[in-house]
Amino acid sequence: MLRNPGWHLLIVWYFFLGGIAGGAYFTAAIADTFGGSRDRNVVRTGYILSLLMIGICGMLLILDLGTPSRFMNMLRSFKFWDPMSIGAWMLGVFGVFAFLSSALSLSADQGKAALRRKISLIGTIFGFFLASYTGVLLSATALPFWSDARLMGALFLASGASTGMAAISLLLYLSGDSAGEGFKKVKRADRFAILFEMVVLILFLVLLGSAAAPLTSGHLAPLFWGGLVVLGLVIPLAIDLLGGRWVPAVVPAVLVLVGGFILRYVIVMTHA
Amino acid sequence: MARTLAMFTDTSLCIGCRACQVACKQWNELPMEEPQWTGSYQNHVHFTDKTYRLVRFIEKPQPNGELQWLLMSDVCKHCAQAGCLDACPTGAIHRTEYGTVNINQDVCNGCRYCVSSCPFGVVAFNHDTGRANKCTFCNDRIHNGLGPACAKTCPTESIQFGFRDDLAAKAEKRVVKLREMGYKNAQLYGADTNGPLGGLNAFFLLLDKPSTYNLPEKPLLPQRNVLVDSVLAVGAALLVGVSAMVAFRERGGKGDGDA
Repeated sequence: MLRNPGWHLLIVWYFFLGGIAGGAYFTAAIADTFGGSRDRNVVRTGYILSLLMIGICGMLLILDLGTPSRFMNMLRSFKFWDPMSIGAWMLGVFGVFAFLSSALSLSADQGKAALRRKISLIGTIFGFFLASYTGVLLSATALPFWSDARLMGALFLASGASTGMAAISLLLYLSGDSAGEGFKKVKRADRFAILFEMVVLILFLVLLGSAAAPLTSGHLAPLFWGGLVVLGLVIPLAIDLLGGRWVPAVVPAVLVLVGGFILRYVIVMTHA
Repeated sequence: MARTLAMFTDTSLCIGCRACQVACKQWNELPMEEPQWTGSYQNHVHFTDKTYRLVRFIEKPQPNGELQWLLMSDVCKHCAQAGCLDACPTGAIHRTEYGTVNINQDVCNGCRYCVSSCPFGVVAFNHDTGRANKCTFCNDRIHNGLGPACAKTCPTESIQFGFRDDLAAKAEKRVVKLREMGYKNAQLYGADTNGPLGGLNAFFLLLDKPSTYNLPEKPLLPQRNVLVDSVLAVGAALLVGVSAMVAFRERGGKGDGDA
């Protein structure tokens, strides 16, 4: 007889926004290092979005505790084999990197840009960490549906990448910058991330085998198939591949974000 | 570290009186909970944040159609390699000098990670205090030379308390005797320190295979998954990173460097 921790919406939001924070940061850092001046909006949007998300994530983590006033107790010990312990530390460290990158992205100064790229190179590691560790955290439990496949971390990382990129495109669209080169490049990168997420999800379900039943045929199964697979992955990819001039450029991004939230929701809320 | 202490629960002696359950509630000042009718004499269905000792009433169908009653007083196993202890980010869950596993209520911040990390589903979240609860092995009693309340009160000595090595030797003899008496499936669960989870400091003598008692045949440490999962996540990060690099690379060479 195993026991579900009974985590609720705050943790679902944390997993979702943490993925966006990590994904937006490494997307911005890669655009910063390998892109050109026309990607500047992607870089700035990504860094600042990630900083905001990290702030919200920290608050969600504190509010979710049974005794929120004791959140500092997380820093009483450091266990490198324990995702919950490293996660608490890394969120703080990543916050520092996101702050420095964001602050330095506000200036057009050459020297500051060079320093920012160096900082972001290291920060990227923490970005990848934040997007994926929540998956590893779930797989290091005794619950079969969370722990029987070895790909929960990879799945969360792929979703963090696709939602992080989608969030950047959404913000660029809202700020009226959807005609630029940066917007196109983010969409191109997101196309691969969505495709990769689909492949990882299929492998994940295959590896889970019969343990996947609560997810694929449980009470949240309609949400899983309809919300995540169809609405969050297949349709945005189809719109993208078919050219999709008949729908506003922002629709796939919104669908990917909705799908990313549903992924975390069905995984956390399916009590097997 | 002092000599490891243990509890040995010999289910062949249990008469299902539930005195252990009551003694545990009284000593630890745990409030009552509404009983639940599930068609069995067992109450409650599982451990809760207010029930640390629980007599399980297992009804096993026999070939002749009758039911055999298997009684087992269940408790936190105080694993030598404890999933809850490894999962605890605050250090509230610790190993005592006697080898038992305890939750320091003054440190626990209620993150609930231990709840899903227990291979036996023992640890429970207490919504009243906002902390995690489980059997304390009567830490206050054993520090004052008293055995745990459940062992002290057991009228048939189904629950025995003592040094681990002494109890394990006793258990070995008992299982041999029971087999001679015709209990073919009599077996020890968690007595072997080379076994799963490095042995359980609350171990059992069962009259049937562990799964009959809803116990995992081979309990595993959840943290065994961290390394492989992390390596695969790093692989995924490399793939995603390279693809984003290709997407953002300026055609016809490197970026112009203008920030």
